[in-house]
Amino acid sequence: MVRTYVLVIVCVLIPRFALTTAAGDRRELLQAPVALAPEPGGAQQVGEVSPAAEAFGIHPGMRLGEALARCPRLTLVPPDPAGVADFWERLLVRLESMGAAVEPERPGLACFDARGLLKLHGGIEGVLAAVGRALRFPVRLGVAPSRFAAVAAATRARSRRPEIVAGGGCRGSGARAGGGSLGIEDRERARAYLATLPVTLLRAKAVLADLPEALERLGVRTLGELADLPAAALADRFGRAGLLAHELARGGDSPLSPRPASEFLREALELPEAASGMQLERGLGLLIDRMLARRERRGRTFRAVVISAVLVEQGGTWREQFVFREALSDPLRMRLALAPRLALMPAPAETLRLTVERFGPLASDQRALLHDPAAARAARLREAIRQTRAAAGPEAALRVLEIDPDSRFPERRAVLTPYEG
Amino acid sequence: MSGPRRLSVPRRVAVDAADDGRPLVVDSREVDGVRESWLIEDRWWTEKPLRRRYWEVVTTCGRDEVVFHDLQSGRWWRQR
Repeated sequence: MVRTYVLVIVCVLIPRFALTTAAGDRRELLQAPVALAPEPGGAQQVGEVSPAAEAFGIHPGMRLGEALARCPRLTLVPPDPAGVADFWERLLVRLESMGAAVEPERPGLACFDARGLLKLHGGIEGVLAAVGRALRFPVRLGVAPSRFAAVAAATRARSRRPEIVAGGGCRGSGARAGGGSLGIEDRERARAYLATLPVTLLRAKAVLADLPEALERLGVRTLGELADLPAAALADRFGRAGLLAHELARGGDSPLSPRPASEFLREALELPEAASGMQLERGLGLLIDRMLARRERRGRTFRAVVISAVLVEQGGTWREQFVFREALSDPLRMRLALAPRLALMPAPAETLRLTVERFGPLASDQRALLHDPAAARAARLREAIRQTRAAAGPEAALRVLEIDPDSRFPERRAVLTPYEG
Repeated sequence: MSGPRRLSVPRRVAVDAADDGRPLVVDSREVDGVRESWLIEDRWWTEKPLRRRYWEVVTTCGRDEVVFHDLQSGRWWRQR
């Protein structure tokens, strides 16, 4: 008998992840009508909302003015994008540590294909139990043959009661579903499960966030009704978004694309006073030097980094991802590339952080055509520093970096930072 | 690697001062004269304001010292 494994997509959902993380230890706030405030410089739309705010008809993405008109006592919580990203990254790493190849959809929502883990953990129940042990955090779990159906199942699940769409696991024969694509039976099962569910679930896809409202105005309330509509009519009315929604409602979905396993390096600098402008640029230079001196770098270049900051006066956090045009290990070029981003910060910062998200290949020095004595001296100096650090640790070669040379407080003027030749 | 190492970090010092705040003895060394004194206030808009009265003094043994009186905590510190 040929045993054919069908797709088993597990969805891990943490409702209102960004809101609860931003609220921090003020969890009692979530009992009242609360919404995440718009990000500084972004569209004037509220983020995630509490259940009490939902009762007023407020939903994520609603214009701030409309939300306040619906509920004048709505409390706005400053967003914490850096805190959310950090916590979400920790949870993803915990999931990956149990062997899951995770595709993060957005903070608070991730999926993985559990086929490779079924034997390891003794079936789908064992996998779900392993997820609970790994995360050590209350989550909602949904299992289905397609990603969208798994997300829908997770929204119907409770924290201790996963929702499993019948038929998951393996079967004796049938259409083979290889390479992460959906077989006919998988599609039918997902479609049958989704048929009675509301079209508002389409909001789980960012590109379809505005579609449910329009569908409901047209009298299309369930995904089953949406699936029964002709695809051409949806394409005429809604374009590509309509076709995507139709495909999802019929049980289809694109294959998962798990993120590559990565390692994260982070350096943080507590700023003695609200810092902005030149002081921030000097702080950034210090962080770059310290990051380049980290042993874990192992001579590799940086491909993508994230600059984040904790803003003053509980103004939340700020986060900016930056992908270098080419992988770099030159501190000067990094400063030139990253410093303009600091101007986007909406308020002075208390803490500045630099995180390496992706490494590039090993840094290599190409020989110049003509002999350059200065380059030769610099190379000898770099080698000497490398050997010194290998013998005496990363703090063996330091230099004085002026952070705020004009400060009236002497201890704020300069710090010792790793010397980069 | 631990956090950045700041330079010129204040260190505690024992100071006997006159009623008007002028240092008389710094670390058991008698003060010969005061070269300069200045007041710095900052972060008064926060919950942790900084108020310092600095004194640059010369001791009888010839040392030039810069000390300050933290007007918030009442402690004395040496700083270069």
